[in-house]
Amino acid sequence: MRWAIVRFPGSNCDEDARFALKKAGIQAEYVWHTERDLKGFDGVFLPGGFSYGDYLRAGALAAKSPVMEAVRRFAEEGRYVVGVCNGFQVLTEAGLLPGALLANLNLHFTCKEVGVRVERNDLPFTRLYGKGQVLRLPIAHAEGRYHADPETLARLEGEGLVVFRYAPLKGEADYNPNGSLHDIAGIVNERGNVLGMMPHPERAVDGLLGGEDGLPFFLGLVREVVG
Amino acid sequence: MPRYQATLLIELKAGILDPQGRAVEGVLRDLGHPVEGVRVGKVLEVVFRAEGPLEAEAKAKELAQLLANPVMETWALEALKELP
Repeated sequence: MRWAIVRFPGSNCDEDARFALKKAGIQAEYVWHTERDLKGFDGVFLPGGFSYGDYLRAGALAAKSPVMEAVRRFAEEGRYVVGVCNGFQVLTEAGLLPGALLANLNLHFTCKEVGVRVERNDLPFTRLYGKGQVLRLPIAHAEGRYHADPETLARLEGEGLVVFRYAPLKGEADYNPNGSLHDIAGIVNERGNVLGMMPHPERAVDGLLGGEDGLPFFLGLVREVVG
Repeated sequence: MPRYQATLLIELKAGILDPQGRAVEGVLRDLGHPVEGVRVGKVLEVVFRAEGPLEAEAKAKELAQLLANPVMETWALEALKELP
């Protein structure tokens, strides 16, 4: 199994993504953003970072990169696309996922561990979690406030497309770190093959780094192919 | 082919909470200015070539649609001028 990790100018979680994929037994290779072909890959990972310095808007310029046309075709073929943090911003800017990510309500770049509830576990990314399980995952972003118009929000909720939601870890009342509508931390498209999320599962795959709650995310991808 | 400069104004849609604007508003109030609201947007000045004013206007609008995110932003072509 072979995944592509797309590197944009300013990506900085690419190495974390490769570490996590490899730990799950997935071959991972870097692909530069000017590439136009993703043949031979089983999945594409858009890592976190600050593509193009977040100029214009986070993810906006990366979304116009040549590689994103290939990612679009890849997604249309039903293959797996995961965007984390800046990768999620790129996916919304590219129109592969609905909504947008706005500046955090508190205006801070927020870097901490948060509670993330798994809302559905019938997807490869979440099949090794329990439904309703609250994960401890790191976030590190300044523009992570999920926004969508009321119709889109209703559709996301109605069709069960919200995969991850911020949730209290220790009963705290202010568990939503950025002001995301409906506490949304991650969503998936209707077909279930394109997923975007602000928390970083790839930074939580080893106890030495503070936690392993992200590892099942990657192990689930392996089981998808092996069966 | 003549050169044109388009001034594009990109703003958050009305109704979308703008924390940058809120922060600026708070400082202005602290300074004693009775402001009722501040919204922060972006101005982009784009220089390009076009055959004439009609083509330039169409091009400017095409660029604005490319650069603004319709989910959260509105855009306006504030000015279009031919450069010497």
